[in-house]
Amino acid sequence: MSAGRSALPREQVRSRRRHLVPYLVMLPALLFLLAVSIVPLVYSLVVSLLRFNLMNLDRTGFVGLRNFQLILESPDFWNSLRVTALFVVIAVGLELVLGLALALVLSRDVPGIGFFRSFILVPLALAPVVVGLLWRFMLNTESGVLNWIVTLFGLPRLDFLSNTLLALPIIALVDVWQWTPFMFLILLAAIQALPHEPFEAAAIDGASTWETIVHIALPMLRYPILVAVLLRTIDAFRVYDLIFMMTRGGPINATDTLSWSVYNVGFRNFNMGYAAALSWIILIIVTVIVTIFIRLLSGRGEQPA
Amino acid sequence: MFTVGKPSPGVIVFTYAAGVLALLLFMFPIFWMVLTSFKTTVQAFSSVPVLFFTPTLENYREVLVDRGFIGYIRNSLFIGLLSTLLTLALAVTVAYPLARYSLRGERQIVSWILSLRIIPPIVSVIPLYIIFSNIGLVDQYPALVIMYTFMNLPLAVWMLRGFFAEIPRELEEAALVDGSTPLGSFFRIVLPLVAPGLVATGMLALIFCWNEFLFANVLTAARTRTAPVGLTEYATPVSVLWTQIMAAGTVVVVPVLTVGVVIQRFLVRGLALGAVKG
Repeated sequence: MSAGRSALPREQVRSRRRHLVPYLVMLPALLFLLAVSIVPLVYSLVVSLLRFNLMNLDRTGFVGLRNFQLILESPDFWNSLRVTALFVVIAVGLELVLGLALALVLSRDVPGIGFFRSFILVPLALAPVVVGLLWRFMLNTESGVLNWIVTLFGLPRLDFLSNTLLALPIIALVDVWQWTPFMFLILLAAIQALPHEPFEAAAIDGASTWETIVHIALPMLRYPILVAVLLRTIDAFRVYDLIFMMTRGGPINATDTLSWSVYNVGFRNFNMGYAAALSWIILIIVTVIVTIFIRLLSGRGEQPA
Repeated sequence: MFTVGKPSPGVIVFTYAAGVLALLLFMFPIFWMVLTSFKTTVQAFSSVPVLFFTPTLENYREVLVDRGFIGYIRNSLFIGLLSTLLTLALAVTVAYPLARYSLRGERQIVSWILSLRIIPPIVSVIPLYIIFSNIGLVDQYPALVIMYTFMNLPLAVWMLRGFFAEIPRELEEAALVDGSTPLGSFFRIVLPLVAPGLVATGMLALIFCWNEFLFANVLTAARTRTAPVGLTEYATPVSVLWTQIMAAGTVVVVPVLTVGVVIQRFLVRGLALGAVKG
């Protein structure tokens, strides 16, 4: 206890100690979070400046920004960036449109609607690994049930996942299947929380359903829509499980997303220096995207933490 | 709600039609997986889908017993339960002070905790693999327990803060007036009241552990392999044991669905409550 502290009146010392207690209680958990987040990131930054291959540790050495230079000059990196961006746009875009439409339709209180609302959420609970395998089975060329449906329309069976043009959109659609319910869940809650008055006014003015949705509901749903799109974008950007289970980056490199590419370089070529540098580039890209979203969100004044 | 007054019959029919269509689309793949898990390979690979057949439990016996999937399930449960308990214990120590006191820097602490979820797991997994190899933690239970606790802690703090904030402060003050210590009133009054919230939060954390693949794939090997990683063993580039995968997939999915349907109401409320104490 310092001399200055002991000069304080007794009461004040006690109240100051009591103020510290909540922080002390929180300290272990906060330190844990700090350790598991910051230590790997700093270590990764160090590794990114090294030539560091687990299969060739003798040649380990400092190479400065060489790994970053190699990445930016590599066509594979730009391909991965394009593939990831395309995946995010297709998947999150469709999830928003379908989730919003479904939430608007099923927000009406008709008897038994709770049953539909509950069961639509089921895909959310599934392990993405199982989802990937299941869809690969259904897409199977010879015996997949989806290819059987294709033949019902008189079309030839398609090898969806071996087709460089189809593979990525198909995996995006699988993501849409699993995560549209998430958009639905958030937007349904938002719609149910909307005030009644503007809609009553619109009904009195004789506005059509479409006009009511576009001019009244959507502007009021801007904030929840942005939050839902942000959460889904963060998640879709890191897609890995589906890629691992369905195509492993192929055919050629048509589904070689950024996450898959880091995994491939790190755990199949064991080039840790390059993988660490690549993962830092990914972190920077994600941070930029999130910052843009936060700007858009805070444009609306008060925001819940 | 964006409609006013009683919906017309046309609107009701349209709503049901959309609901049934959505239900079919979202449920069919799961139905198909469960159905396939009871088929023989010949039935599963018929070029015209087989709907009626004599079900067999052979796939389950083969994958669970002969191929040792039950061992992976045990690892998944052990790691998941351990991590969930740790997550809840740590989350309470952060969520309760945040909900009960107006602390300086509260906003910053909450934003920082939530921002941790932005870091893509692939970014952490490269350095963690090197660090864990150096200290001999690869293929050891603590590796995944640590990672899953880290992964779930932000969401758990967010949800529990909402549940704690719902409990009237007066209850605790009354206990203090009656001569209880702050710690005593926390354990005897607050914790029992927040138990449903703890269960909901814990279940969600457990499901996330149960479904996780990237960390498990990199940080485990034969000894601590979890169920999602075990599934990849049956789908190699050379051959895919589809009917057994569908059986193993059913085993992975069905418990989660059962729990999910039971606690759904709690979960939705818990996620919403996190926002109450902005």
